Amino acid sequence: MADNSNDPLALWQKMIGEMEKGFNTFANQAMASPQFSKAMNQAGGVTAGAQKQLGELMEKYLVSMNLPSRAQMIGMAERLQSIEGQLNEIKVLLLQMNAISGMTQDSVAAAPKPPRTRRPPPSPPGEQK
Amino acid sequence: MNAPAGLDLASIPDRIQSEVQRAIQRSIKGVEYFSTSGPSLGSTPKDILHVRGTMNLYHYRPIEHEIYRVPILIVMATTNRGYILDMVPGQSFIEFLLKRGYDVYMLDWAAPKPEEKGLRMEDYVLDFIPDCIRRVQQDSGETDVTVIGYCFGGVLSLLYGSIFADGPMKNLICFTTPIDFREMKLFQNFADKRYFDVDRLIDSVGNVPPEMILSSFEMLRPASRAASQVQLWENIWNDEFVKSYRMFDRWATDTLPLAGEYFRDITKDLMWDNKLYNGTMSVGGRLADIADIKVPILHAVAEHDHIVPYDAAKPLIAKVGSTDKEEVMLKGGHVSLVAGANAIRRLWPKLDSWLGGRSI
Repeated sequence: MADNSNDPLALWQKMIGEMEKGFNTFANQAMASPQFSKAMNQAGGVTAGAQKQLGELMEKYLVSMNLPSRAQMIGMAERLQSIEGQLNEIKVLLLQMNAISGMTQDSVAAAPKPPRTRRPPPSPPGEQK
Repeated sequence: MNAPAGLDLASIPDRIQSEVQRAIQRSIKGVEYFSTSGPSLGSTPKDILHVRGTMNLYHYRPIEHEIYRVPILIVMATTNRGYILDMVPGQSFIEFLLKRGYDVYMLDWAAPKPEEKGLRMEDYVLDFIPDCIRRVQQDSGETDVTVIGYCFGGVLSLLYGSIFADGPMKNLICFTTPIDFREMKLFQNFADKRYFDVDRLIDSVGNVPPEMILSSFEMLRPASRAASQVQLWENIWNDEFVKSYRMFDRWATDTLPLAGEYFRDITKDLMWDNKLYNGTMSVGGRLADIADIKVPILHAVAEHDHIVPYDAAKPLIAKVGSTDKEEVMLKGGHVSLVAGANAIRRLWPKLDSWLGGRSI
């Protein structure tokens, strides 16, 4: 193996790796304290509350601007997803019907299913299972 | 004057030339990085068998002419997308299983919608998983099913297997599945009962936002994101490195929100009361004790898992009631255990050799 002890690039990469490890260890020690949990959850609680209020305010603003809100866009996406889901179910049913009637035997999806008879390859001689 | 040990003076001009070329490549590839999208992920051909709310059931099209009798249902973690197991051809666990002759289904999750905030643990364990199992049985024509659960998907699979101990689950494989939640030290501290008001959080936000989930994962290794960006810049001339970085970065940041009531259940039952470990967990009024699981079980854990530390995963094998049980510890972290170069070399072949004989 090549000796990289004087390679500036290797030294730089090693330094970054060590810094990452050191910082992660230090931060993990700090985050394990009850004080951290208290501060984090206080801040998190305030943020969650503020986020909710801001969301409600934004919703009102968008209604006044005659623009769709995020919730409405999500609602539309959801309806599209439900239509897609129903189309998929219809597709599966159609493929099953085609497979039964043998109409499209050449199609990939309606191809006969492979037999479920596979066995694991024999172990090489002398190998214990 | 002698050169310091290890420094080959003759190689310096070549080295400088190589570094200059890399610097030029960095500039060119750096522009390319921002102007192109990453590789297409999750592209193994599949059919969507069923979609209902947050639940998606896929069937991957078999590619071998003869397959094992017992189909596999993969249960993904509810925080992340299933394409981690189907990155790109050559780096896809799904593709590997198909090539080894397995019939593969996946229960993958979509982001729960605001009106799905009321989904509870029982919806996942007593409704979604059994519904998928029924559909797998119907589609494959087989009664037996092997279940593979990744991370929290493993917890859901264990709960399912405990309650439906009489079948139809034939084998269970868990990847990095926590059992003893006391040992998830940092998550425990983040969710300290004295300071973390889960009721207030859920009552105010509904579903837990994905940003919050992502931050809690990133906080476990706060310097790693910055360090990985430095690494990206150093290696941006290397197409393979960039491709791999983009795949994993996209997946890691593509975190899903969690249904509010489900998160409340996880926090209270698992994080606070550690009921799965204590054998007192109940789901929808039904006791879920993993000692009731009797099917063959394989648990794969990662040596350097910072999300599910080994101490949190270790008791699984001791606590299940199976006689045919095995834990395998492999090098790597929480994600590299199942995807990436380590997984290709270590986990996938191990899983195939364990499962093949149990799938006939």
